[in-house]
Amino acid sequence: MNLRRIGLLMWKEVLQLSRDKMMLPLIFLMPVMQLIMFGYVVGADVTNLRTVIVDQDHTTMSREMTDAFSSSGYFRIVDTLDSEDDIRSIMDAGDAMVAVLLPPGMESDLAAGEKVPLEIVVDGSDSKTASVASGYAAQVVASFEFERLTALGAVPDGPGIDARVRVLFNPSLRSVNAMIPGLVAMILMLSVSAIMSQAVVRERERGTLEQLFVTPIGRAEYVIGKVVPYVGIAIVQTLSVMIVGVLWFKVPFFGSAWIMALGLLLFLFTGIGQGLIISMVSNTRHQAQQTNMFILIPTMVLSGFIFPIESMPAAIVPLTYLIPMRYILVIARSNAMKGAGMSALWPQFVAMAVFAVVVFGFGISRFRKQLAD
Amino acid sequence: MRSALRRIIAVTHKEFIHIRRDPRMLASVLVMPVIQLLLFSYAISFDVTDVPTVILDQDRTTASREYLASFEHSDFFRVVDHIESDVEADRAFDTSSAKVAVIIRPGFADSIAEGNKADVAVLIDGSEPNSAQLGRAYAVALSSTEDRQILVSWAESQGLDVTSMGSLSPQIRTWYNPDRRSADFLIPGLMVVIIMIVTIQQTAVSLVKERDQGTFEQLTVSPIRRAELMVGKVLPWLILAFIETAVIVAVGVLFFGVPLRGSVLALALGSVLFVFSSLAIGLLISARSSSVEVANMAGLLISFLPGFMLSGFAFALESIPPALQFISYLFPGRYMVVIARSVFLKGADVATVLPQLAALLVYAVVSLTLASLAYSRRL
Repeated sequence: MNLRRIGLLMWKEVLQLSRDKMMLPLIFLMPVMQLIMFGYVVGADVTNLRTVIVDQDHTTMSREMTDAFSSSGYFRIVDTLDSEDDIRSIMDAGDAMVAVLLPPGMESDLAAGEKVPLEIVVDGSDSKTASVASGYAAQVVASFEFERLTALGAVPDGPGIDARVRVLFNPSLRSVNAMIPGLVAMILMLSVSAIMSQAVVRERERGTLEQLFVTPIGRAEYVIGKVVPYVGIAIVQTLSVMIVGVLWFKVPFFGSAWIMALGLLLFLFTGIGQGLIISMVSNTRHQAQQTNMFILIPTMVLSGFIFPIESMPAAIVPLTYLIPMRYILVIARSNAMKGAGMSALWPQFVAMAVFAVVVFGFGISRFRKQLAD
Repeated sequence: MRSALRRIIAVTHKEFIHIRRDPRMLASVLVMPVIQLLLFSYAISFDVTDVPTVILDQDRTTASREYLASFEHSDFFRVVDHIESDVEADRAFDTSSAKVAVIIRPGFADSIAEGNKADVAVLIDGSEPNSAQLGRAYAVALSSTEDRQILVSWAESQGLDVTSMGSLSPQIRTWYNPDRRSADFLIPGLMVVIIMIVTIQQTAVSLVKERDQGTFEQLTVSPIRRAELMVGKVLPWLILAFIETAVIVAVGVLFFGVPLRGSVLALALGSVLFVFSSLAIGLLISARSSSVEVANMAGLLISFLPGFMLSGFAFALESIPPALQFISYLFPGRYMVVIARSVFLKGADVATVLPQLAALLVYAVVSLTLASLAYSRRL
């Protein structure tokens, strides 16, 4: 093991990276684009739902109801119609996702003590928006109804339940607060696995690997020299995502930096191992890329990064335990948002450590063996 | 003209040989879409259910048990534990073993018996904002139903009538996908995303690979013209993309039971224009990239981030900032997702999706022109 040789190898890697005029900008563009996409698109909370109101009542009450919808902040009234004939074509064209039908005689029927159904149509072709929209709509109607009954003095002062619902840890319910800690782990994985495997396979594809091994460079030196520059890049990317997250997206951090760092370190080793395994099984850079994609998509879907694990069908849930990302997500989110410490997170740390040892150990031993052959 | 055709076929043949020599690539092109289809259709559900809930009942009366039963009976909450102390609730939140805690203090039943409002605390873990938001709404709704029931039975015992004031209740109807099946929502969009990811990534390396391997000079001394080279290189992927589209539609309809209600012609027209547009993006990346790595990373980045995220496939585009709205119109996925979803679920015909088809046509023409310009300059 010779430090000077390792240093020279790393220098060669940096030179190669900087000679490719587009690669380095791309490496730093990647986290920026991910931040923007995940921060603003995935992290966007559903508001401004395009809504049409069909007002067949034309009374003070129907206008108040229209106001209640538009002032709720969830619905944006794009049109107010007099008849329900056009709803079908408006919804077909996707110009509105919600239609609220205020029936004729709404005000007078209510005054006569009758039950009035208020029909709300939601576009189910976007099932996520549909479930959010119907929840909000029910909420708007319920609070409208409560105010109406209160104004009428119809709510007697009797016994009942006063539920105080309080949201802990993320009281503003901002999605970004959950997104950014996860994104940190995601970017770390992408950098060491996707970028590094390209560099390793290129060496083999071009035959420069043989050239390296007629020099005095040892196998271990080669591995270290190859891995370290990409770990450096990954750390810079991760830190910049954290800084932008805290300063720009105002994501609060209640946890311990040490817990976070330890979790990411274990995850980093898993990532390096994964990158080495991918470079071993790939003959071309394009194949390496395909293999990365092959792993990336299940990781995104099954780790709970975007879609919560508890909503998945019971048959799928066991699969999620095989995804290393699952554990680092719990660590990163619980630590950042809840300030959870080692006493709560130790099962995840144990799982991360097992993955780190197994994947990294397997990757490095097979990689050295392959180099030796 | 005949010889041009022959040269194009020769290039296409060469590309097919490359593909055949690399069975892994062919497998990843054909198998990956199926895996994605299964993953997305089975694993993802936007209906939040079974949120793990712990209950702390310090009152232990009939009244408190009746109230808590409403939580146990709902689909949304799944009671995982009856705990004894506040410390256990903190612990459950810390270890993420529960997302909701319902806490009833001693004196709950007494308050109601005395004609007062009884306090209940519902704590919700906000670290998963989506389910927390719904959890809050459900907890409020459950409690107000219970509240109303207690009040009505009390009013009756006092001889008061509180039901004569009329009532206004929302009746929610879901069109197009009444059961809100995620598969119905996801598969039409997934078709678009899969085709885009595959075609962009595969064509992104097409030109840059020849240059990287030095076979590029050989091609330039051959009688082949630039346009012919481009067409020949793209043709195999065009064919594969069409096969893939057909396979996804077939699996979606036959296996997952996604309804195909609209005009197949509209879907086919859209798919053709969309495949051409995606190929053009791939060609542009290939013509502009300095190396294979750059082409790979750029292909991954563009097909995955703006292509996937801004297509409207899984994430609603209503609430994103205007600048990103604008960017989303620069990628063909947005138009095609609308077409696919309208045709599958809303029964749209060509006339309904004409604006999107026109947009895709313009997109395909412009992007193919740009790609061929960039391609020939590169040669």
